[in-house]
Order: sequence, then structure tokens, then C-alpha cells
Amino acid sequence: MIPLTEALLAAITASVPAPTLPVAVEATPVAEMSVYADAVYTGAGETIENAMVVIADGKITAITPGAEPGDEDLHVAAITPGMVDLSARIYPDGYSVEETEEVTPWIRVDLSLDPFSRDWDRQLRNGVTSVVASPYDNNCIGGLSVALKTGGSNSIEARTIKSNVALRGAIGSQPSSKNHPAFGRPTDFYSRRPTTRMGVEWTWRKAMYDALQAEGDKERAFDGLPQLLQALNGDLPVFVQAWATQDIRTAVFLKEEMAGEGKPNMQLIIDAGAEAWREIDFLVRTGTAVVLPPYRASGRTTDGAFFAADCAAKLDEAGVPVALSSHNAKAGGETLGQQAAHARRGGLSFDSALAAVTINPARMVGIDDRVGSIEVGKDADLALWNGTPFELTSRVVGVVLDGELVNDPRK
Amino acid sequence: MTGSADLPLLSDPPSYGTGRPPFQCEFPIAIANPADTNRLSLTGVTRVRRIKRMRSKVIWSSLVSLACGLSVSPMGSAFPGLELPGAPASEDPAVYVIRAEKLIERPGVVHENTSVLISDGRILEIGPDIALPDGATELKGAVVCASFIDPWSALGVDNGVLADTKMAESARTADGLNLFDVDHLFQEALRAGVTSARVQGGWQGKVCGLGAFVRLDPTLNDPKHAVLLPDADLAMSVGHSVNRGATFQRMGDGTFQMISGDRPTDVFDRVSEIEAVVSSVEAGEAYRRAEVEYKFKLKEWQEAIAEKQEELEDDFKKAKKDRDKKVKKAKEDGKEHKESKYKEDKKPREPKFNEDKAALARVAEGEIPLVVEVHRSSAIRNLLAGTERFSRLRLVIAGGSEALSCAEDLAERGIPVIVWPSLRGTTKKDEFTGATLSLAGELAAAGVPVLLGSGGRDADTTRDLPLLAQLAVGHGLEKEQALEALTIGAARAFDVADRVGSVELGKDADLLILDGMPLEPFTKIQYVFCGGRPAVTPEDN
Amino acid sequence: MLNGLLAVALAAIFPGDTDIPSPTAAVERMTAFQAKLVHTGDGSSIEDCVILVKGGVITQVGANIKVPSGAELIVHDGALSPGLIALQSEDGAVGELNESTRTVMPEAEARYAFNPEHKDFSRALGVGITTLVLAPSPRSLIGGRTAVVKTSGGRVVKPAAQLMLGLSSDALNRNKFPTSYAGAMGELEKQFSNPEGSVSRAAGGSLPVLMDVNDRAETLRAIAFAARFDLKGALYGSYWAEDVVPAIKESGLDVVCTPFNVGEGSRGIRSVVGLSKAGVRIGFGLEAPDRHPESLRFGVALCVRDGLSPSAGMKALTGDAAAIAGVSGRVGRIARGLDADLVLWSADPVALSSTVKAVYIDGKLVHGGNQ
Repeated sequence: MIPLTEALLAAITASVPAPTLPVAVEATPVAEMSVYADAVYTGAGETIENAMVVIADGKITAITPGAEPGDEDLHVAAITPGMVDLSARIYPDGYSVEETEEVTPWIRVDLSLDPFSRDWDRQLRNGVTSVVASPYDNNCIGGLSVALKTGGSNSIEARTIKSNVALRGAIGSQPSSKNHPAFGRPTDFYSRRPTTRMGVEWTWRKAMYDALQAEGDKERAFDGLPQLLQALNGDLPVFVQAWATQDIRTAVFLKEEMAGEGKPNMQLIIDAGAEAWREIDFLVRTGTAVVLPPYRASGRTTDGAFFAADCAAKLDEAGVPVALSSHNAKAGGETLGQQAAHARRGGLSFDSALAAVTINPARMVGIDDRVGSIEVGKDADLALWNGTPFELTSRVVGVVLDGELVNDPRK
Repeated sequence: MTGSADLPLLSDPPSYGTGRPPFQCEFPIAIANPADTNRLSLTGVTRVRRIKRMRSKVIWSSLVSLACGLSVSPMGSAFPGLELPGAPASEDPAVYVIRAEKLIERPGVVHENTSVLISDGRILEIGPDIALPDGATELKGAVVCASFIDPWSALGVDNGVLADTKMAESARTADGLNLFDVDHLFQEALRAGVTSARVQGGWQGKVCGLGAFVRLDPTLNDPKHAVLLPDADLAMSVGHSVNRGATFQRMGDGTFQMISGDRPTDVFDRVSEIEAVVSSVEAGEAYRRAEVEYKFKLKEWQEAIAEKQEELEDDFKKAKKDRDKKVKKAKEDGKEHKESKYKEDKKPREPKFNEDKAALARVAEGEIPLVVEVHRSSAIRNLLAGTERFSRLRLVIAGGSEALSCAEDLAERGIPVIVWPSLRGTTKKDEFTGATLSLAGELAAAGVPVLLGSGGRDADTTRDLPLLAQLAVGHGLEKEQALEALTIGAARAFDVADRVGSVELGKDADLLILDGMPLEPFTKIQYVFCGGRPAVTPEDN
Repeated sequence: MLNGLLAVALAAIFPGDTDIPSPTAAVERMTAFQAKLVHTGDGSSIEDCVILVKGGVITQVGANIKVPSGAELIVHDGALSPGLIALQSEDGAVGELNESTRTVMPEAEARYAFNPEHKDFSRALGVGITTLVLAPSPRSLIGGRTAVVKTSGGRVVKPAAQLMLGLSSDALNRNKFPTSYAGAMGELEKQFSNPEGSVSRAAGGSLPVLMDVNDRAETLRAIAFAARFDLKGALYGSYWAEDVVPAIKESGLDVVCTPFNVGEGSRGIRSVVGLSKAGVRIGFGLEAPDRHPESLRFGVALCVRDGLSPSAGMKALTGDAAAIAGVSGRVGRIARGLDADLVLWSADPVALSSTVKAVYIDGKLVHGGNQ
């Protein structure tokens, strides 16, 4: 090995452009920064006009009303908290779910993520600063979701806000879609159950009961037991994809059944709950939160579910915690901000729309201590708008992530 | 038409950037025996070639005289009468004087301390003491030589054209160029010193159509300027298995398995494919014969008609009287009058135009070379035997993995082989099984004209051609032969030796300035001149 | 459990990491090589150098050495280098290194897979390769142990050189375990958390690992994994390294570069040049016989064309490669005590236009020369 002088080492480090910094090297934030706006929507119940957000060391240190920007200062029409997308679908498609078994609660999706994927940057530029990545929904219980920042270091570890934020799974047609019965002799591991909705539900229930039985019995321990128990005890939200009304009901009934078995604290979050508007009573009864899929003009979505335009408004009115998601990090897809605009057209109030893309999703997965609103002491993640947020005529023009201006509206 | 047979091209406007005349059926009518079509068409061919030779001679002599004696300013405008066909459209009329410690005019011809004057894309002067004209740029270099030519490349050919398995003989690769999304590959090829290439589409088909000779200049994104010859050759291919489409087979467990439709070529395939090549050339020859016969019969007929016309005009009144009498008699007899027939009424029928056969005719007559990609020794032997009787056919073998077994024959007939020194493993069993890296050296040692190409499969291999040439040198090819293969040899094989391939007066200024001898491993290319413009400068490296 | 037993059994046959001793002839004449230029394999070169060889081992190297009387003198008017080393190959073992029925086989041994008389080896010899690493397929998570072998006589220089780990998508399947990175990493973590046999030697750092990676994310994941379990060794796969050079440098891992094709994209070349310039130790894989053995020098020639120094290229083919394979005490350099694996070239070995004139392994002429 060639001995490297310090000078040479320094030269090598210096020659590397900032975005490709390696493992665990935090991007050095600008020590102090201020952003001015005609309106700051804090997401904490306040709208402050002509305000200045002061940032130091990646955190918000002050929100000063009535501040006058100079010509050189960064000044935009509006600031909202950096948005949070719980169903951002950032994963390397096939390789994020361990399909060898249909119940894999121990799988950590963060080990599958590619920090170099362009999907991150597309989210970031559209004002989404935090996302939850989950295993692909080919399994009944796919594994553990992770909450991450959409930019910064190239290390997944450094981007992580909180790992193991939810136990991810799916109910509906997708988990059984690749399986088939073994005619004659089995061909591969897809020659297995479940192949039906009934089988999917059975698989879920079996996993739950297996966990209940193994709780006090070390002999019965199995892979994924700790995660299942955490979920049953309410320490780990269960984040279930369920598009259609029947699948939403299945999830809710499962939760109620577990309550009957002495596990009343299980937290349920429905993802892609297109038909949640049909099941408001059940959702309210069980305190279930809902993440909505992206808007479709026709209303037709996966599994034949009809996504009513006023779904978010109705859920909000009934007091169901609701979050919006874009599901789409691909070029040309609609942004999370546009989803909020669609929900507004469906009757959702501005404040609720803001909450549905910021503090609500943050709260659902327990990262609201760091992100989701503009408050002193929280991470300085801001979306800078060129007009009133959540109007189709305005867009995110700048982004601050951890106190760093990653997308400068002046350029 | 016949009057302009001598030098029609010097003043003619350039046709699509090529210096080669399109084929015209204008044979010396004076030759009387229409049956002797072979001889006739031979005359046609020699004419075409002669024109080419004379043209370059004229350019040469006029330039030499200018360079040597007359104190004329060596700018392009100094030659008002000399419009060069297909000159690269240079936006930049810059003049360069390159002072070389060593000028390699062509492999084996080296001049010490010589300068080259370039203006308007061409080499206008070569000599020891060239004064620097006003506004000219002076460059110095240790070695100057002609830039490299890839005689077997896919660079700039649209992917669809490359993958086309059903190219017609007359399909032109020149019409399937896509110079836009391979800019970076052009630039990298230029950096490696390759400035022009024979590009060919449809390598997977039996017939690959007409290849083009292009200049790799990314700024010349108009094919009209990039294409030196739109019809550099006609290419065919023997022995490649072509995807015959996959089928699905139901397995015992109810699943389906895909069965590839590819089948490796066997010896019978090769025999029939070679037969197809030979009969194509035959068809081309027959087509040309028919065309020429028609010309003469038409002429004969026209003369006869003219003769009869005169005769008729002379005796018009008598003839009319005679006819009236006949009509009258027929009426009296109650019969219908029949006009008497003349043999002149029967106009010779023009052979039906067939563009594919026309292309094959040009091949049969040796106007353009026939490039056949063939690898197995039996196939090469059959090809050589089948084509022996076409005395004017100019055959070029591409690949020729096992050509060594026919080296004697190839050398005797002067058939060039474009060797592709590729780095193949041994696990695949295909046509290339017999390929070795020493092929180029061994063929050259046996007296076969050897060219080196990058295989015509992928656009990105052209820039590695100089390295492949070095590899061939490492496996036995003489350095000088490698350099010749990459420069004047390739230019000659595809009829562009009057434009590129060596550093000579009147030629396009496609040349390299190097800090050492070409094809030496650690020699750095400093400047690459492409069409008279420095396409690569030391800043690019 | 079974792994453990196997490890114990194997350890009994091959205690520790000791190399198999070279079969030296009892009494042998001394041979002296005199060459115009000798590349020593550590990046330097000596002009008009004499190398004395006895019993297949180099005994003396230098410019001013007197050739002892009675020694056979071989004078070469060209360059001389140590035999080239390819760090990944399937020569003589095509199809025998990919055990697809199970994905964790830490005790599998590549050295039992090859046919020492296979003609692949003479092809390799013909281009100056004297040593190569036979590696289990990276399609398994833990494929087994690599073997360092010579290309003549089937000599195994080091039987269990590295533990092959598949961290790339090549190790993931569509229809059997593992189908996901998370599943693969989970399994690897399980294996390394309760290590047995080869795995425990790798976790302890006494057995280097060879970690197959393709893209940048996989590279970073491999680096993090190596750091977590304190693994030493090399990454196999360099195409995307350009963007993660500092992380690789910091990890202290070596890099076995992916072999290059004709027409290789410039990113792969830039990555190798970047790694070398940053001071990362590199060598080259070969993936023969799928590729021509000249691919080894061709890859270096591409890199030299695009900015790698010829001496660094030479080192990557010899001394550094030996160090990566853990056999620098035996081959890779021309130094006292090392095996006399010598290649006589017409000119600089990095130049593709140079020709192999003769190849000696353990001091014996095995290719070219006046055989």
C-alpha cells in the first residue's frame, strides 16, 4: 500500500465534487441562512405574513414576522414545510421484496435502496423532503419501512430519519398475483398459497396468531416474531396497502379481531385507500389513518377501486387522519403538491390539505418531532413556492433540506 | 453526351458528395458488334476508371505546378477554374501550415522536416519551406501522417438499419445514417485518430445493402457533407444464424418454456448461401448485358426508322397511290384492308428496371467492390471458386476467420481481407471459432492485402481500432502493414484513395499530428485534422 | 453445523493458510536471465538487469550482477516482466464454479473445479499470464473460496485465497432465495453474526473476501458490510466506481476491475483511472474463457490511453494483483525468494504491439523461446 501524505489525501478529498460524498459524511450546511416569504405556512396552525425563517446548523432557529428582505436576500412568495410522502415508491422494483416467503416481517427495505436513483432528486425538486420507503407489495407482510430524507448524503444510513417506522404489507389481489397452484409437480416457489383474497387474509391472520401463540413461548419463536409482536402491541404501525373497500374492511376487521385477542393497541395505516370514503364509519371506529393514492381523472384505480374526488375532504370532515401521496417518482408524474391541489378541488380546506402533505404523514410514522412543520428546533426542510401553495398555477421553485439550499429559486 | 466523355466531372456539380460518377449507359456507339456485350461493357468500365485517374492527374499536375513555380497565393481562391467535387463544406476557410519533423506521406514514404499547407479542407502544398500566409495558423509536430480509416464500422448507422435482416441490394446505408445521438462516439473515434469509415447496415442479413464511406466529423451533421461515397460497396454475409423467432413449448408441469429459434449455421447453409452470392453476381451481369443489348438494338432501330422515314418522304405520293389502290381492291373483294407490316414497327423493348439488379450489375462490373463477410474456410473456398469467372468482380472478404487456408488464392487474386482482431472467448461456438489474433499477420505474410476493421457491429468499437491494430502487431503483423491497412490500403479498397488515406497534394486534409510514430503505444495524438479542420486539439486530450 | 464440521475437517488437511510448497527439483542448474529492461512488478524498472534463478526461485536481481560460471545464460534483447496475474477467471473450469443449487457454500473450494491440463491455460500462457484466480460464481451469496493457480502444471499457489461474496444483483434470483437485497443482506448478516469455518476466518480478517458488486449502491452497501464485520479484501466490479472513489479509498478495500471489452464505455475506464489515481490498489479480472486472455492487457491499454500511467498499469497486472490475491510472497514481482515466473517481451508489456517471446514458470520454459 502506498503511504499517502496528508496533503495528497487532502487533494483527493478536495477534488471530489460535493454531491458524491461518501458514507456518513454529513453535507456541511451553511452556518446560518434566512429565507423571506410573503407568507409562511408553518403547518403548526399558523400563517405568518411577510416573515423570515432563520436557519442555523440545519435547524430552524427563528421565524420572524414583519421582516423586510433586501435585494440580495432569498425571497419567495410562500414557504411551506418540506412535504412528506408516505408512499413515495422509491425502490429498485424487483429487488426490494423477499418473495421466497409471503410473510417476511424482518426484511429491511433500507438495505435495498439505491441512493443514486434519480427518483430521489425528482421528489426533492418537487418539495418532498421526507419519504417513507417500503418493500414492494408482492408479499402479504413485506417487511419494515424506513423514513428518509430525499437528499443530502449518498449514504442511506445518513439519510435515514428513522428506521423501522412501520410494518408494511398488502391486502388485495397483488400479494397473490404471482402465485399459482402446483399442477402436478411444483415449478418454483410461486407454486404456493395464497392465490386468492381469502388466502391473503388467512396468511395475515395466521401470522398474527402465530405471533400471539409464540409471545410467551420461546420454543415457538420464528423469524419476524419480534416485528409482529411490536406491531400487535402498537409500537410499530401496520402500514397496509388496501385499495378497494373489501380490502379496507379486511384490514379493519383484522385489527378488531386482534383487539379481541388482547391486543387493542395495534395502529393501522391504510395505504392507497382509494375507497376509504365508503368505509368512514369503520375507520373512525378503529382510529385508522389513511394514505390516499394519487388522483385519477376517471376515478378508476387498482383492484377496481373508485377513488372519489372528495375522498380526502370526507375523511377529513369525519376526523380520520389523512395523508396524500404521489406514488410517483418517475418523470412526468404528478407531484405531491399537485395531489394537494386536486384534494382542494375535492373540497379539502387549505389547512387540511397542508396538513395532509406535511404534519399528518409525519405524525402517522412518528417522525413529527423532526419534520412536518416549521417550528423552532425542527429540521430546516422547506418548500419554497412561487405563489399560493396547492394551486395548479403555482409550483415549488426552491427547496431547503437540512438547512441547505439544494434548489435555488434564483437560478 | 458522348462528346463530354473525357472530363465531365471536373466541372459537373458534385453529386451527393461523391467523386464517383453514377453509372451511365453511354457506350461508344462506334463499336459495331452488339453481340459482343462483354467487351462493350468492359469498355464502359475502363472508361469510368480512366476518368478517375485522369481527374486526379489533372489536379495533381495543376497543383504541383502552382506549388513549385508560380508565386500565387496558396489560397483556395487562387484556383478559379478548379472546382473540386465534393469538397467538404467548410464554414471556416482557415489556413494551416503544419511543420513536421517527419512527414509520413504514406507507409514507407517519409520526408524529414517538411511542411504541409492546408486551406479550405485540402492539402494545397507540401514542401520544405512554405511561407506562412497572412492569417494562417502554424502548428508544429514531431510526426505527421494520414489519419486512420475504419473499413468496417457501424458508427453513425441508425440502430434499426444495423439490425435490419432484410436489406435489399440497393438499400443504401447512406440513407440510414443517424449522426445525432452518437456525437460523443464520433468525438472519441476522432480522439483515437480515426476520421473516416466505411459504414454498413444490416450485418445480420444475407444481403446487407450498399455501404457508405463517411467522414467522422460531428460538426458536419448534414449527411450530405459527411458522406464521401454513398455507394462504397455492396455487402453480403454468409454463415450467420439469424433469429428465426422463438417458439414456446409446453412442459410437463403446465408451464411454457421458450425455445430459441436460432440455429447455428451448418455446412449446407453455407453452401447455399455462397451459391446465392454467386448467382446474385450472375444476375447482375445478365442485367447489365440486357441493358447494353437494349441500347444497341434501340440505336439500330432508330437508325432503321430514320432510313425508312427518308425513303417514305421521298416516295410519298407513290406510296400513297399504292396504298389507295390496295384499299380499293380490298373493298371490291369484300375483304378488310390489312396494312403491310415493317420490321421497323417493332421497337426493342427496354428491360424492366430493377434497382437491386442494377446494384448487382455495378458489382459484377467491378464499379463497386463486393464485401462478403465469411469466416469458415470451406465457405471461403467455395466463394473463391464460384466467383473466379467474374473477371471484373472486386471481391473483399470481411472477417475471414479461417481465410489462412485460402491465403495463396487470395494473394494471387489480390483479394483484400478486412480482419477484425476481436477479443473473443472460446465458450461460444459460432462462425468465429477459428479466429485468432495472429490472422492479420499470417495473411499479410502470405501476401494477402490485409485491412483492419472494428467489425461493424457496434458503433463504439471504431474508436478502439488503433488499439486493435496494435494488438494485431503484437500478434505478428508488421507495423508498416498495420499502418497501411488503416490508411491508404482502406482508402484504395473503397475507391477513396483520391480523397483520403495519405498526405498528398490535392487530397482532403485528414491527418494526424503526433508526438511519436503512429501505432506506438505511448505516442500521443496532438491534433486530428478532419476535413481540413482540427477536430481534436491537445486541449481535448 | 455442517459448515463447521467441514471447516474442521479441511483445517486438519490444510492447517492455517500455509501455501502448498512448490515441488523443487533436488539439484538444479542456475539460470541467468539478462534483459535490456526488467519490470520488477512494483512499478519500477531496471535497465540491463540480470536475474539469477535457482530451483525455480529468484535468487538475485540487479543491474551489476556477475553471472556465475556454469550458469545457463539467457540473453533477451527486450523487456522482461513477472508473469501477469488475472484476478478472476474460469479457465479450465467452465460451468464448474457456479453451484446454483444453494446460495451459501462458504466451504466450497474452487481449486477442486479445474482441469489443470485444459487448453484454456495454454491460451493464457500465450499472452503472458502465469497466475490466475479461479473464483466461485458471484451468483451465490457466499460462493466459496477462490484458488490461486499457475497456468502451467496445475500448481495451486494458494488453495483458499479469498471468500467469494455475491453482493450484486447477480446473486438475486427471480424464483428462489434470495429475491431481494434485503433478503440477501439479512442472510449474510446472519452468517457473519454467528460465523463458522471460512466465514469466521473472513470475519476475523484472516481470510480476505472478494465482494462482487455492480452499481454504486451495491458498492456502498458492500463497503458498509465490510466495515461492520471488519472484513479485509477486495471489491470485484469497477464500472461505477468513479462516483464512489473516496468511499472505496477510505474503506481500505482493494478493487478487482471488471475486464474491458473492445468499445468499452468511457465511464468504466474513467473509474479505473480514478481509482488508481486516488491510490486504491487495483488489479484486473479476466472472466476467461468467455473472454480472450488478451482482454487483460487490452483493459490496461484502454486505461493507459485515457490517463493511467503505464507503470501503474504494469503494477495492476503483477505486484498489486499478487497482493490482492494474497500471494505477494510467491509471485507478482521480480525479487529475491519469489517464484521465477518470467515473461520475455519484444517491448513494453503494457503495449499491445509487444509480443510474448517466452514464458517461464518456476524457472522452466513453458511457452515460446526455443522449445
